[in-house]
Order: sequence, then structure tokens, then C-alpha cells
Amino acid sequence: MTRQSRAAWLFTAPVLTIILIVLVIPTIAALALSVTDYSVYALADPGNLHFVGIDNFVELLATPLFWRSLKNTLIFAVLGVPMAIGTSLLAALLLNDATVRWKPLWRVALFAPYVTSVVATAVVWRFLFNERFGLLNQGLALIGIPRVDWLGNPNSSIPAILIFVTWKIFGYNMIVFTAALAAVPQDLMEAARLDGAGRWLRFRHVTLPAIGPTLLLAAVMSVAGFLQIFAEPYVMTLGGPAQSTTTVLYFMFEEGFKWWNLGQASAVAFVLFVMILLLTWIQSRIGRRNEWL
Amino acid sequence: MYAADHENCRFYRCLGSGSLARGATIRHRRTVQSRNEQGGPTRRAMLGMLPALAIGACARSTGVAPLRVWAMSYEGDYSPHLMPGFTAATGIPVEVQSLPSTASHEKLLTAHAGGALPDVLMLFNGWIREFAMIRAVAPVPSPALTAGLSPGIRDALRIDGRDYAVPWSVAPQVQYYRTDIVGEAGYAAPPLDWGGWLTMARAIKRRRPDNYVFLMLLNWPGALLTMMTQAGATMLRDHATRGNFRSDPVRAAFAYYANLFAEGLAPRAASTEVQDPLAAFAQGYFAIWPSSPTTLLDLRRRATDIPPERWATARLAGPNGPGPVSGDSASLCVSTTTDRPAEAWALVRHMTSRDSELTFQRMIGNLPARLDAWDAPQLALPVLRAFREQMAQPAPIPPVVEWERIQGEIQLAAERVVRGLQTIGQALTALDERVDQLLAKRRALVDAGRIA
Repeated sequence: MTRQSRAAWLFTAPVLTIILIVLVIPTIAALALSVTDYSVYALADPGNLHFVGIDNFVELLATPLFWRSLKNTLIFAVLGVPMAIGTSLLAALLLNDATVRWKPLWRVALFAPYVTSVVATAVVWRFLFNERFGLLNQGLALIGIPRVDWLGNPNSSIPAILIFVTWKIFGYNMIVFTAALAAVPQDLMEAARLDGAGRWLRFRHVTLPAIGPTLLLAAVMSVAGFLQIFAEPYVMTLGGPAQSTTTVLYFMFEEGFKWWNLGQASAVAFVLFVMILLLTWIQSRIGRRNEWL
Repeated sequence: MYAADHENCRFYRCLGSGSLARGATIRHRRTVQSRNEQGGPTRRAMLGMLPALAIGACARSTGVAPLRVWAMSYEGDYSPHLMPGFTAATGIPVEVQSLPSTASHEKLLTAHAGGALPDVLMLFNGWIREFAMIRAVAPVPSPALTAGLSPGIRDALRIDGRDYAVPWSVAPQVQYYRTDIVGEAGYAAPPLDWGGWLTMARAIKRRRPDNYVFLMLLNWPGALLTMMTQAGATMLRDHATRGNFRSDPVRAAFAYYANLFAEGLAPRAASTEVQDPLAAFAQGYFAIWPSSPTTLLDLRRRATDIPPERWATARLAGPNGPGPVSGDSASLCVSTTTDRPAEAWALVRHMTSRDSELTFQRMIGNLPARLDAWDAPQLALPVLRAFREQMAQPAPIPPVVEWERIQGEIQLAAERVVRGLQTIGQALTALDERVDQLLAKRRALVDAGRIA
């Protein structure tokens, strides 16, 4: 080992140790738990703990609620990622326009929801979504749309939570996109304009390639985030109505911490881990093909 | 406000009671000295004094570490008012932490797994078997602690012939009703049988088509469980190792319950949607509300919105008249991990004493489990009569540790029926399958002879 590489190891050692203790070891422990039948009975008497192989996974596949929660999570991700990233990009493009005044003020105002507490904002949004008195329904009434029971109807509960989540998180990616947009080469933009390219063509062929890597990063993070959505349904709907907002993570939380079926919950965690890994891998392949990475 | 201050004090005390406070005072003095040397107060010195002041304010003169108590909902919020008497008599300070009831089950289990349970904890009666099984709570050491209690309540909590908890806060459900709305429909009080209840509800709905009659939250199992018990359902079979929900009494209870929603007599709403049930009750959004005695406290707080002459209480209706009712009654337990069991039990004795029970009844409404408390004049109020009668008839709790979870599954099945996602037949078949799945572990242990 050269002196240089020794120094490098020395500098990375603290971080590697922390990663080992809080990430690698717990992951292996969770994997080990997922092949046991750890339940509240094992908490009572360790003699009740057995190795069960893949039984937890088999049982999981036979549990309707697991499939429902998987479906709900995918709906969250499929609708939520474009919604959140689209809103962020739109807001960033608007803020990037030269004619917009008081930019710092807008940036702060739009970023503010991201740094507020989920629980506090969820309480406010529950009032906004209220079927009888909610501001949202009163607004809809003005344009002649009948009342929507946002959080009480199993069909509208996911869209309702997505509206809340989008409002809450779009500010973060907006700031990231604002930074990326500032780096779009202005000479290219002007050249395109001189060649007669309209707004859309300039966005498609100049802006988009320039912010491609940032977009990919935002997509990867958002997909991982939406697959792990938990706090919002937990505080807005408690997984209801009729379990229409129970997500994989919510299911895992209930199994693991509420009922202490840690074997089963670890199996769920492992499935989720594999899912996120796969999706991220696919996304990075797409990115590589487009030479963004 | 009180809770926040309390929490702050606790935080600083956790840092290491007396010695730290003294250290801070010394530092504080040094700060003052150096300020004098510099000649004049600096902002930094003043800011430096703030933590010292906070710690100084929390420091207690006694060197005794406080006993820790965890309790849920109103019991947790108001328990600190019971403690000055105990501290004055014994010199032991008590620290109460209030847990939100919706998150308390997981909090308690996690605390047990982590060895962090407090000395004394409140458990809802349905949880005692589970916590006794995992050896989180100790058996009651002396029969004197449970002497003089209402026998119906005490016996229902006995596990394999032993007591693990001292009944504390009795909370049977009754119906709170709007006297004016029920009166307009031609009734002095709600009928107490299912047929009459429904007839009255239809009469009210005809007069007030835009409002509802009942409030039965779709994610709270109390109302439906009561109906099932009253219809005579035995919920589990084969030594409580399998679900027994495809039975006539369960079907009858489900049908009656679902019909209330189908006829528009109850709103299809969960607790997350009804943000202020008191305001809705005051506005007449619904006229009849099956609820527990703590609603008495809410109604007292909101007396300007809904004056006392506008509401009254009655027992819940059953198929042929009142019967057993499920509730959120709670008991006090001592954790197995406490290193001061004698003091902890002394605290339980204090909290379940006649005086404490009566004070608590005045504050939060929940009723005393102690029989000798019932001759007190405060319990002779007409509004408490329904509770008093109901108290002697608690719904039996099936003897399985999974019961809390099964209750949730029952309510989910009912919600699917109410929302028209499944028929009663489909929902009950699915419920039986689900409960069999939840009880698989218990079944295996019973078959192996590891549990009775």
C-alpha cells in the first residue's frame, strides 16, 4: 500500500465505519430476520423463534393486503414522479425567465413547504380537503364541479395525497433545476433562436440535453422517495379509506412495529429493497444510453 | 402548555439531575464574574445564563429519582394532577408521559423490546394478556390491591387465575344524544332495542334529510363490536385458534350496521375526516353518538357551543334491549423491568384509591372501578346513570394476544361492506381467512402444547 492510498483509507475510515454500523450490518440482520418466524411470541419466549426459510416470502405473496399495498405504491410512484418533477421543472423554468421579478422571494416562497413539518401541513391540508367545508371543494364549486370526498373516497384518496405531496416536495427539485438551468449555455440558446427555433424546439434541443443529468438524478431520487412513501398516508388517512392508501412501507410498519411480526416485516423490507435497486439500475441504464452519466 | 414545560424539565433532568444543575450554577457564577471583570453585561453572557436558569428551575430539592408513568390520551394528560398527593406523602416525585393512544401500542411494544418501559404503565384492558405473555408487566403482588373493585371488571382481566393489572379508568360506551332533535321526532329518549332505534333514526332523517343520525367512525371498531357481542356472536372457535365470523349473529350485526350507512343514517366517514366531532354534534350534523365517558370532558369544555340541556346519555341499543358493550377501559400495570417495584405498586395503589378515582372522574369523566367510590354524591348525577348501569356489563375480551389486531380486521371488513366493495358474505369469508392467517402461529403453539 502506498502512502497515498493509506492516507485515503485513513480519511474514508470514519465514514466507512458508520456505513458499516448503520447500513451494512442492519441490512444483513434484517435479511437474517426475514428467514425466521420472529413474532410477538418470540418476544415472549426466544424458544418460539424458528428458521423458516422462504416461508415469509411465500406467505407474503398469499396476503391480499401486500398486493394491494404494492399496487397503491406503484400508483403513487407512476402518478407522483411525473407530477412532482413536472411541477418542479415548470416552476424552475418560470423562475428562470428573465422577465420574472423578485426571484429570491419566489424561490423562498416555493421552497418553504419543503422545510415545514409534514404533520403540521397535513393537518392544514386535511382541512383543505374536507368534503363539506374544504377550500378545495369550494373552489371547485365556483367552476361548477360537484363536491369531491377527497380523503373519504377510496378512488380519490391517492390523488388527494399526491396533490399534498407534490405541493410539499416540488420546491426541492425546483432549486436543483434552477441551478442546472443557470448553466444552460446562452450562446447555444441564441444560435438556436437565430436559426428560427421556437420555444418548444429550444427547450427540447438545448435546455433538455443540458439539464439531462440533473433530471435523471431527480427522477432516481423521486422514484426511490415515492416507493418509500409513508409519512403522508400515515398522518392524512391512516392507510384508509378501505386501505386505499396503505403503501408497502406502511404495511411493513404495521407488521413490524405495530404487531411486532419482524420476520414478515423484514421480508417486506427485502422485497422493497430489491424493487428500488432494480428500478434505479434501469434508470441508470437509460441515462447511460442517453450519455447523461 | 403544561405538558411542554414538563417535557422540558424532564429533558434537563435526564442530563443528570442534581450534580449537573450545581455545575451549571457554578458556570453561571463564573460567567457573572468574568462579566464583572470585563465591566458590563455582554449579550453572550446573558445568553449563556439561559440554560443555567432552565436547569436551575427544574432542579428539585429532593435527591430521589422520579418514578416514571406512561399513560394514554386524557388519562395521560390529566394524571399529573393526581401526583402531588403521592409526592407529599412519600417524598417520591413522579414523572408522567402522555402517549397518543393511536400510536401507543407500538410505542409500548418497542419500549419493552428495548428495555425502556417506565415503572408504571397504563394498558387498555384488551392489551393486558399480550403484555403479560411477553413478560412486560408483573403480576399484582398483593390481593389487597385489587380488593374492593367491581368484580365483573376485575374477573374479566384475570389471566390464568392471576391478576396482572389493577383496573383504573372504566370507560363503557353509551349513546350521547341530542335531546332536542330526538324530541322533535317524538321521542323522550332513544329506544334501547334495534328495531325501535332504527324507527327513530328514520323519523329523524325524514325531518332532517341533509344531516345524519348516528356518528360511527368507519375506522373505529367499538360500535360494530358492541353490536356483534349483543347479537350473541362467539368470534373465535377451536380454542380460539380460528375465526368464527361466518355465523348468523355476526351476519345480523354486520347487516344492521351496514344498513345504517346504506340508508344514509350515518356518514361514511373515518376519524381522519371528522376533524371536530363536537362542533358537528353541536350543529346537529348527527344526533346520536356512541362514545366513552371522556366525551363528558369535551362537552364541558365546549358548553358554549352545546349547552348541557341539549344533550343526555342513554345505554346503547341492543337487539332486544341493552347488553354488554365494548369500551376503552384501562388498567394500571407495573413493568417487570422496574428496579423499584414496591414504590411502583404504592403509586398504583395511590392512583387507584377512592380519592384519586373520584378526582379523575370529575376531571376526565372516566368512572371509578372501586365499588366504595360509588356512594359519592358526584356519581349520582343523572347523566352518569347510563354509565353506571353499563359498567357492570363489559363485553368479554377473547383470550388471544392477537385480539387488538383482529378487531382492526373486523372493522376493515365492515368498511369494505359499507363502501360497497364487498357483500357481507364475501367480507366475512375473507375475514375468516385473514383471522385464520393471523392466528396460524397461535394455532401451531396450541397444537404443540406450548400455550393453553
